Amino acid sequence: MTASKLASRSTLFTLLAGLLLVVLIGWRIAMLGDYTFARIVQDFLNALTLGSLYALIALGYTMVYGIIRLINFAHGEIFMLGSYFAFYAMTLTPMHWGLALLITVLLGGTVLLVLRSLFNLEEPKRTAALALLIFAGTFFLLAFRNMGWIEALLLSMLATGVAGVLLEAVAYRPLRGAPRESMLITAIAASFFLQNMGQLLFGPRVQGFNAETILNRPLNFTIGEETVYYTGILIVVPTVTAVLLFVLNLFVSRTKLGKAMRATAQDAEVAQMMGVNVNQVIALTFFIGSILAAAAGVMYAIRFGQIHPLMGLIPGIKAFTAAVIGGIGSLPGAVLGGLLLGFIEIYVVSLFPTLSAYKDVFAFVLLILILLFRPSGLVGEDLTEKV
Amino acid sequence: MRNTLLTLATVGLAILGLFLLTQAEGSSGLLSALTLIFIWGIAAVSLNLINGQLGILSLGHHGFMLIGGYVTALLMLPEKERAPFRTRLLSDWARNHLDLDKWLRGAGLDFIANSIDLKFVVALFIAGLAAAVVGVIVGAPSLRLKGDYLAIVTFGFGEIIRLLPNAPEVAALTNGPLGIKGIPGDAGTVWWTFFAFLFVLWFLTRLKFSSYGRAFEGIREDEIAAEAMGVNLAYHKVLAFTISAFFAGVAGGLYASYLQSVDTQTFNFFVTFFLLVAISLGGLGSITGAVLGTAIVVLVRIYGGFLEKPYPAYVGYLGGAVVMLSAFAFSAYIRKARRLRPVVETKHLIFGALGVALLLVTVFFRSEPWMTQTVQFFGLRKILLAVILILIMIYRREGIMGRAEFSWKLIFGPREDVPTEEQRKQDAWLSNPDLNPDAAKKEDDDASA
Repeated sequence: MTASKLASRSTLFTLLAGLLLVVLIGWRIAMLGDYTFARIVQDFLNALTLGSLYALIALGYTMVYGIIRLINFAHGEIFMLGSYFAFYAMTLTPMHWGLALLITVLLGGTVLLVLRSLFNLEEPKRTAALALLIFAGTFFLLAFRNMGWIEALLLSMLATGVAGVLLEAVAYRPLRGAPRESMLITAIAASFFLQNMGQLLFGPRVQGFNAETILNRPLNFTIGEETVYYTGILIVVPTVTAVLLFVLNLFVSRTKLGKAMRATAQDAEVAQMMGVNVNQVIALTFFIGSILAAAAGVMYAIRFGQIHPLMGLIPGIKAFTAAVIGGIGSLPGAVLGGLLLGFIEIYVVSLFPTLSAYKDVFAFVLLILILLFRPSGLVGEDLTEKV
Repeated sequence: MRNTLLTLATVGLAILGLFLLTQAEGSSGLLSALTLIFIWGIAAVSLNLINGQLGILSLGHHGFMLIGGYVTALLMLPEKERAPFRTRLLSDWARNHLDLDKWLRGAGLDFIANSIDLKFVVALFIAGLAAAVVGVIVGAPSLRLKGDYLAIVTFGFGEIIRLLPNAPEVAALTNGPLGIKGIPGDAGTVWWTFFAFLFVLWFLTRLKFSSYGRAFEGIREDEIAAEAMGVNLAYHKVLAFTISAFFAGVAGGLYASYLQSVDTQTFNFFVTFFLLVAISLGGLGSITGAVLGTAIVVLVRIYGGFLEKPYPAYVGYLGGAVVMLSAFAFSAYIRKARRLRPVVETKHLIFGALGVALLLVTVFFRSEPWMTQTVQFFGLRKILLAVILILIMIYRREGIMGRAEFSWKLIFGPREDVPTEEQRKQDAWLSNPDLNPDAAKKEDDDASA
């Protein structure tokens, strides 16, 4: 009884807040005067792109939090790694065949090991086929031609996923069962480690990320008098996000491993008793989260045209905010939160240009407000600790 | 009595040593290292009050230090350094009113205004108060939360405080991203930091062994039990947070006057991370540990500079190989000590083999041009700190000291783990059937059974 009463009250509250927001925005648009339909469309496209990127990163946070209750501070750095992997894949290919062979052996070997442990590949035939596919594929991609953005995206997703699994195995797995504060501290340390390692290995300067593709060709169109600037990437990012979300949803809801994942998120101990390999599921979660972060990283780099080793910081924080807004631990919540944050960010800056200096402060304020007043987010479960 | 005398003697010796050091030639490097240890020590001990004694992970310490730094800077800034500030409404106001000299002379305290040292004390106190006020504002709402949510909220507040001085509305006061330069540095000497450090240590040690300190530790061990025993949770949490913010502000002010400049990058999130490494290394909850950890971390940061000098590339490859091989050896050692089988896992073996391969490649190609080119490993010290923190968290979560404190009893007192002669006699009486009828009876029971 009380629950439904509470729910109806919070629904009412949400409705009122939404109404207030609509009125506020309408009033602001009327006040601005020069806010035309073309600008609305333009902002909508930008917001959708940014929101999709936040959603992709937020999914990694929310999945990891749902499974082991860890705020993976290093997720922003995983995102950074993804864009750098794609950058090197695109700029260094075609490479000398010896170097390509060396990288194939190292990278392919690691990938094969990790994939075997992730997907229960016991049969030798399947393993052999997978090994052949990975080794030959990597070698051909690296050695013969200049890699396009699609191959780079796929390769980077694979490599970053493996990096995420390795991060989990090295830094987080030994802390299983430790206090959550220790795990959080370790995650912060891992984040600093990856940032500085990135500066050391990739160089501290900003690098241009020029994907010479149809993605960056301007496809402007006009509405009335004004031009809407848009490029292929503004279409590709939401599309890729939607496809990845669809696949992720299928995976989590239809496959056996997805079921194991949901079971582990619900209660790891009982899941283990029921025969779920919890370590494998956690590694898989990191793998999927890192894959999504890598996709976001590559598309972010194409969208904004530059990468640097500290680029993961701000998008990481914002995506975390998005995950919290949606309700951390909930997959649809992360997507919703990401899109919402993207829209809020773009529209606030567009409607109130004087506030653009506070763009980053705003995300933190939102994060704090949500955590203080509605820690379970928009669609999340209630995580109040009980005695 | 003896312990007090010993403490006083140690402090006296430290003062004498510092005095001799300031008189000695070529000791400026060591002196600045000591100054930094004292400054960061204050910050670390104050963070330890929340993170260690209260058991709450707070990640916003850099924000409080920043407030202390900016307030000290604004109060201490001499007249001629104020001119370059942008002339805006707020800036005019700041130039005319944010002046400690004027305040003090207005209150008829000319003798303080005339002495830069006394003025500095007042400025530090005000800086601490400002940080403490912000601490209350931050702490009162957020301390209702728990665990990692609380950590994230404090992190968010810290970052907001760090980003605010750059905002255009505040920039007239804080000079935006350029920061404030020309803070008089003669107050930021080793003596000031030393005495401030001593005071903070004295205060926090007294606090730790008072009823408040016990309440904090009760909250750390079990909030619900502490509340049931009559500890007012909200009051104690906010109190600890405020005291911690106060001393963080003092540390920030000292650091600003040591650097003679302050900007938003002086106090970024790395500061909190640095302090976190220090107190985790020393042992969360131990003041002695916090000081020890800070000393180690600061020394690594200052004297680890050789790690980031330019070297030929093969040194880097060699270092990488050595690190890989020692990680391999370390894992084997740990597995052996924990009696895990197999001692060397396959994946560790592959890792070790890669290390050997890297070593061989380095030796084999050492004269190739890509091996002899000069490279510089920027940020190696930060990587080292991060690795130290991860290793502590995995292998020794209690740090160096655990929760133990240094005490003279530990050195001079009787050993508590070895029984005294009297206790030994008692034990003999217990187990001697002639003297202890119970023991004899028990033996009979055993025999009959």
